[in-house]
Amino acid sequence: MDPITVTICAGTACVVMDGSGLVLLEEHLPAHLKGRVKVRGERCLELCHGHGAAQGPYVLVAGEALGHASFQGIAARIEQLLGTGA
Amino acid sequence: MAPEESPRFIEVDHFQVACGGEHLAGDHFHSRSLEAGERVVSVLADGLSSGVEAAVLASVTAAMALEYVEWNIDTGTAARILMDSLPVDPVRCISYSTFTIVDARRDGRTRVFEHGNPPFMLIRDGALVPLADLGRRVHTQARWGNRRLHVSEFQSRVGDRIVLCSDGVTQSGMGSAELPLGWGEPAAAAFLLGRLARQPDLSSRRLSEQLVGRALDNDGEPAGDDITCGIIHLRRPRCLHILTGPPFDRARDREYANLARIPGVRIVVCGGTTSNILARELNRAVEMDLSMHDRQVPAPSTMQGVDLVTEGCLTLARVVDYLEAGACPRRNAASRLVELLLESDIIHFQVGTAVNEAHQDPALPVELDIRRNVIKRMAALLEQKHLKQTRITYY
Repeated sequence: MDPITVTICAGTACVVMDGSGLVLLEEHLPAHLKGRVKVRGERCLELCHGHGAAQGPYVLVAGEALGHASFQGIAARIEQLLGTGA
Repeated sequence: MAPEESPRFIEVDHFQVACGGEHLAGDHFHSRSLEAGERVVSVLADGLSSGVEAAVLASVTAAMALEYVEWNIDTGTAARILMDSLPVDPVRCISYSTFTIVDARRDGRTRVFEHGNPPFMLIRDGALVPLADLGRRVHTQARWGNRRLHVSEFQSRVGDRIVLCSDGVTQSGMGSAELPLGWGEPAAAAFLLGRLARQPDLSSRRLSEQLVGRALDNDGEPAGDDITCGIIHLRRPRCLHILTGPPFDRARDREYANLARIPGVRIVVCGGTTSNILARELNRAVEMDLSMHDRQVPAPSTMQGVDLVTEGCLTLARVVDYLEAGACPRRNAASRLVELLLESDIIHFQVGTAVNEAHQDPALPVELDIRRNVIKRMAALLEQKHLKQTRITYY
């Protein structure tokens, strides 16, 4: 199965909303998810232009937007997609 | 004449290490740009001994020379006033500060006034020009005792580098088994020529840093004396264009993006939306380099034909911090931009003025989206502190 791509927004608003550390996602994933996720950065996803910066930081998990992104939130969404969640 | 059309630029920079690892150096190198950049006057002063007293002596000497020149006093007259007014150590009969003044014009007319420092070096076409060929004359006055003023007047050519060193360079390593008499001027010159043979385009900043680094190696840390090297380089200007911010009118996106196609200049893009506009209009991919992660500054990206792509406001603000501090404490996208700025002579800021609606969200810090103010501060710092030529165009 192809790894799930997580795209981190590195735009100004997302960085200010505590998104700067999200690029380290791979280090914070549970052991059973490691190697099943590909992390990449995007200069700016421009999602804040439509949904507002306060919903940031934004990421795309398998192409689907996720606001208020955190390590736990991203991992939970990946679990859902893989069907491995509790 | 627009800066880009100017055929010559006087690039000046220096590097310095203080004696004994202290913060304050007893050498002072300072430059001033005059007549809209047509003329640059640089002074290297070396105060007697080291530490605070030497720093004050050197600083006052350099400041006096530059103030006189600013008051339209002829540089030669300024040098003679310094010779007349410098206090003399009663025991050693030497001035409390040595000095070298270089008065360089963009059209090549150059005058050098020296008292007490190691002789300046002129590097031309990969070789050292003998000072005798530059008409270097010695001036004496009865009231100066055994103190001498050397005066040289010559025509510089594009590519010429004038190198000034304090005796901390030429006497480095003195007393060691390898260099009992110190490194010496010929060896320092050979080092410079060797570096330039390998990298002919080395900037004054890099070259002076390398020379001082080698002198420090000769001493072994900490430095045995204040070590300073200043370099004045007459060269074809290196231009850098910084594109930051989306244009106010979206209909100008294509025109704005095409600025990245200007040949012969380095290009930096700062801003997520800005880089997206370029990617779209120029059909080029933007790839982010996550290996350069930093908590303070978002990682840089790459784009074909662009030297650096960064985030916008936060990175630019950090660049201003680094320029103000005179150092980059961390290796990140901002420090890479500082490198590019200091390696360039003419910096053209192409600033888009569209308001980023997302940044108006009350949840975000008010400091955001002050792009124009940050750019103005950066341009002022580059002009005043680093003698760069800057231009700002708004879109």
